[in-house]
Amino acid sequence: MNDIYKPPLWPMVLIGVVSLIWVLPLIGIIMTSIRPEGETLKGWWNIEEFTLTLEAWREVWVNYPLWDALWNSIKIAGLSSLGSILLAPMGAYAFAFLNFPGKKVTFLLLVNAFVIPNQILIIPLFTLWRNVGLIDNIFSVIIPFVALSMAWAVFLVRNYLVDFPRSLIDAAHIDGCGHVRTFWSVVLPNALTPMAAVGILQFMWTWNSLMLPMLFLRENIPLPVLLTKIKGTYEPNWDQVAVATIITSVIPLLIFLYFQKYFAAGASNQSGQKG
Amino acid sequence: MASIALNNLVKEFGETRVLHSIDLDIKDGEFVVFVGPSGCGKSTTLRMVAGLESVSSGEIRIGDREVSGLAPKDRGISMVFQDYALYPHMTVRKNLGFGLKVSGTPAAEITQKVDEAAKMLGLEQLLDRKPKQLSGGQRQRVAMGRAIVRSPEVYLFDEPLSNLDAKLRTQMRSEIKRLHKKVRNTIIYVTHDQIEAMTMADRIVVMRGGHIEQVGTPSELFKSPANVFVATFIGSPPMAMVDGEIVTDGASPMFQAVNGPLLPIPARLRDKVKVGQKVFYGIRSDSFSPVGHSLPRAGEVHQMSCTVDHVEPLGAETLISVALGTSTVLSKMFNPSEVDIDETRAFELELDGCYLFDKGTEQSLDL
Repeated sequence: MNDIYKPPLWPMVLIGVVSLIWVLPLIGIIMTSIRPEGETLKGWWNIEEFTLTLEAWREVWVNYPLWDALWNSIKIAGLSSLGSILLAPMGAYAFAFLNFPGKKVTFLLLVNAFVIPNQILIIPLFTLWRNVGLIDNIFSVIIPFVALSMAWAVFLVRNYLVDFPRSLIDAAHIDGCGHVRTFWSVVLPNALTPMAAVGILQFMWTWNSLMLPMLFLRENIPLPVLLTKIKGTYEPNWDQVAVATIITSVIPLLIFLYFQKYFAAGASNQSGQKG
Repeated sequence: MASIALNNLVKEFGETRVLHSIDLDIKDGEFVVFVGPSGCGKSTTLRMVAGLESVSSGEIRIGDREVSGLAPKDRGISMVFQDYALYPHMTVRKNLGFGLKVSGTPAAEITQKVDEAAKMLGLEQLLDRKPKQLSGGQRQRVAMGRAIVRSPEVYLFDEPLSNLDAKLRTQMRSEIKRLHKKVRNTIIYVTHDQIEAMTMADRIVVMRGGHIEQVGTPSELFKSPANVFVATFIGSPPMAMVDGEIVTDGASPMFQAVNGPLLPIPARLRDKVKVGQKVFYGIRSDSFSPVGHSLPRAGEVHQMSCTVDHVEPLGAETLISVALGTSTVLSKMFNPSEVDIDETRAFELELDGCYLFDKGTEQSLDL
């Protein structure tokens, strides 16, 4: 190690301590899931008695429709993300490159919709889905998820597109593309970064979402709703809840780990440009 | 037929008028360069011809068609952009063929045309690369290839060489000229670099502030600039303007520089000046040299003594800065020898190479 510059030790220590705070609950959950409930009731860090068992895992697998719930979660989060990924860039393209009357006002309204609490929408939406017959259909949940995401997703993608080189759009027009073709062939393939960001955020939010699925779905429930059922009326079933929590958390964690490079701030647009 | 006519072309952005009634006729096959400082409206004019900018009023004719209402693809034009604008996610081959693909050309024909263009520009080895794997010069050639492939009637170039280093720029200039010889199409080329304009153009259009200042061949603009702006813009180093007024020595008019020497008026302009008129005396550095270090002069020569202000040796020539009144004038010393600052020397001024411009209107008195 170079004697001229030695980085100080205290930032490392500080980061280590902070990381521990974040990691601790994870350790706790794993501990709770592999130890009998009796031991962990006094706190999972308790080591008066220490036995490891996979009983909770077996119980959850056998007693609850975990696979179905997992599949429902995948469908709901997957389709919601896909919807947002495809629709947000279209709106963003319109706001970034087209001129139409009321553009500024529409954009303001769209972005301000972000401040509306979802709770306000429950009753009107429920009435609508019931009248249309979509209760217990996953689309009763997917449609609001996609629609509500437009507020931040369009904003996010539009801000990226504002820096998109205008000359590429011009070149596409000269090559004969109208706006739709320009969007599809030129803008979209080069907007993968914000699309990935929208996808990841939307996936994580919809995966963990409890309120709308709990209200609109009966049989086709996703994992978070199943989690509340596992809790049980008479017993807390902490060990089984822990198992279900781990299963619920693993998938978004893996997705995030794989796609996190797209979050890189200022991820540069690989370019056919001069610089 | 790919002549171009701009008639009373006006462009407004909201309240601001950026192009003031432009009129221009370009002949079929001509290489026309629009040149001028930033913000003069040259790129706006080009984009209006391309169809990327709407026309506020006036008309644009390509061939004998009025095109101001047509989309870019229907105008028979191709454009090469300053930042190349290559599609980053497509290979060179796909970049070249994209326009043809959009217009529904059969695949076999696309391949044939792409290969032809690639051969013309030396891009055969690069067809499977993506733009980010190319150098600046290669990218520029792909941009040109993309324009060629569409076999347009008119080529539009928007400052294509601004981002290249000096050596590459010289190389690409001759490539573009060679292209013009080969395809013989009408070319409109926009640049802020007057050297590019002078070396490449059949005719140059000098623009400033949304107006056309002068249109002419490089030679015409150099020898007969219409006003102060064109005179100082074209030619390197720029023409020096000496501030002063017309006086008389009793017999003939003379030029009295402000706080400076008395200079004779070029013969051709003696009838055109009025005593008391405030003028600029325009001197090009090639017309003003130290005695014994100048070009052979055919016409009238005026000798004067000046003090050297500043010296710039360029190798084959030396540029000497001299104060004439309140203005600084550059003198070219051919076959240079040692020159010291603050040295006083004899200089000679070739009068036929000098110009007079009215100070108020800035127009040349030759007109």
